[in-house]
Amino acid sequence: MSEKKLVNIPFNRVEGDLEIRVEMDGGVVSDAWCSGTMYRGFEKILIGRGALDGLVITPRICGICSTAHLTAAALALDMVAGINPPPDATRIRNIVLMTEHIQSDIRHAFLMFAPDFLNTIHKDCVLYDEAGYRYEPFKGKTSVEVIKETKNVLEIIAIIGGQWPHSSYMVPGGIVSVPSVSDLMQCQLILRKYRQWYERKILGCTIERWESIKNAADLQTWLEESKEHWKSDLGFFIRFARAVGLDKIGRGHGSFIAYGYPGSKEIEQSQSIPSAGFATIKEKYIFDQSKIAEEVDYSWFQDYKDGKHPFEGETHPYASGKEGKKYSWGKAPRYDGFPVETGPMAEMIINQSPLFTDIMTRNGPSAFLREMARLVRPTILIPIMEKYLEETVGDGKFYIAPESIIEGRGFGLTQAGRGCLGHWVEITNGSISHYQIITPTAWNASPRDSKGIRGPIEEALTGTEVKDIENPVELGHIIRSFDPCLVCTVHAVKKGQTSEPFRWRLTL
Amino acid sequence: MKRIICIGNPYIIQDSGGSKVYERLKQNILPDGIELIHGGLAGLGLLKFIEDADRVIFIDQVCGFSDAKEVILINASEIASMSEDRYGHSSGLPYLLKTLPYICEGKIPDIFVVGIQNALSVQAIDEAAFLALKILTQETCDKDSIV
Repeated sequence: MSEKKLVNIPFNRVEGDLEIRVEMDGGVVSDAWCSGTMYRGFEKILIGRGALDGLVITPRICGICSTAHLTAAALALDMVAGINPPPDATRIRNIVLMTEHIQSDIRHAFLMFAPDFLNTIHKDCVLYDEAGYRYEPFKGKTSVEVIKETKNVLEIIAIIGGQWPHSSYMVPGGIVSVPSVSDLMQCQLILRKYRQWYERKILGCTIERWESIKNAADLQTWLEESKEHWKSDLGFFIRFARAVGLDKIGRGHGSFIAYGYPGSKEIEQSQSIPSAGFATIKEKYIFDQSKIAEEVDYSWFQDYKDGKHPFEGETHPYASGKEGKKYSWGKAPRYDGFPVETGPMAEMIINQSPLFTDIMTRNGPSAFLREMARLVRPTILIPIMEKYLEETVGDGKFYIAPESIIEGRGFGLTQAGRGCLGHWVEITNGSISHYQIITPTAWNASPRDSKGIRGPIEEALTGTEVKDIENPVELGHIIRSFDPCLVCTVHAVKKGQTSEPFRWRLTL
Repeated sequence: MKRIICIGNPYIIQDSGGSKVYERLKQNILPDGIELIHGGLAGLGLLKFIEDADRVIFIDQVCGFSDAKEVILINASEIASMSEDRYGHSSGLPYLLKTLPYICEGKIPDIFVVGIQNALSVQAIDEAAFLALKILTQETCDKDSIV
């Protein structure tokens, strides 16, 4: 007879303020709860401040995706001001945003996800020793290269935005730092070098060769086609992930959302960019931001009835009452009532990548597919960035001055490294009267909603077989495949605390 | 080139010590060859500013190092020993210093951390700024000779 057992797993080893509680039934996760353990409160901080203050404050929400927050804040104010920035301003904004993504994707894959391959539970895998050679923290060949190369590509942001992270060069109407032709050429050079490294080291082939892979059979052919493919870090990732069964765990709800990248008629005429959408495994639907709502039935906020759209959203922390029911400082975002996951895999499905659609249709979502999507997202973004850099002429048309921003509502939706990021702002008498932010991890690490339906990570964990509950690396693989980001902002060094810096709030 | 890199978050009082020293130092004309940078929460993003420097002083808010002093000088190796084992979203100065020997392109500079803890008095801000300049302007910089 099996016995159900509740286990608290200290997943702050995975991400600072994330706690996971799972119910085990005979070695299998029968239920899961995902809890953000610290209150963020940026929505409160912003109230009463000047209309433009979000451009400076919100990039401080996160030290990793600060450009995404700046983008969302600027887009929201563009809408309030009723301005469409010049096409070159949008191109420059996107170049910087995508730079942040192509470095974050690779850092996550090899500095955060792959080190779990070294867990002793995998020691019998024939690829175990090679995983150590590649991914041992501080010393692994790939680990060291990744830090060096991702450091270099961030120079693009420094050239355009003045600094990274926490730059504030985007403003309503465009950008304030006009890049010279020389700046743009320097960015091209940096990007070219990054692409060459990415193709040689990570892919083992050109981006064009990778793009020719249309289905699972093509992928296998590609893998076995040459030793460069087989031994590349992508090739190794595929082999290791299959060997330890990452393609069989972490399914989730199978519903996805993406906001896409900011666009305009002019720049979309010359190329396609990843777009917004809502999708299930089989169908894609047109995205409508009015269908977004947040629920708080299981969150430590004052209750309100049903879900509220972010323009009507409330953020009143309330940690007493209903103890035992409420369990997270994260709200429960829902799209048209559905829990949805976001991130690179969702982008692949919504943008109908033939390869990812084929694997998804055959096997469903998995930790493997989620992480592989992150690993190859630069194959989509780098060519777009190259095109933008060619198209941007540096003719000085990077800004349209808005009139004073006194009254109005606006929202800014964009892709962040980990998925959909949205800011909703209302300006009254020149000050911020309302601000709501929904981050990617708020979608993915959502608690249950009013119907009791689990959030995406909770659902992805449920049903997972765990070999050793004292070392539940299977659950770690699943959680990391979402790349949850619950903490940034404060890193005061505290003596006697060797494993984690001192933290104050999360970025749910 | 010698650098003072002030780090932390100016919007959170518990982590604002580095930023306050930055503002204090900005009021002065610094000696030739010394550059002042606000490093914010950049973490690994600060690597570039270490690699081409001869001597680097980080100024950061700390806690738990000493009950008596508001301003303390800490060896980089001590901060590095506090790092988590691998990179994460919260990786900051300890991770940067621990990984430095493996990734630094060029000679690793002399690195010290001026820590500010407890209440952020004007006196402590001044003392931290003075200490940073003292370290950067003297010939040698072993910890004992400074303190």
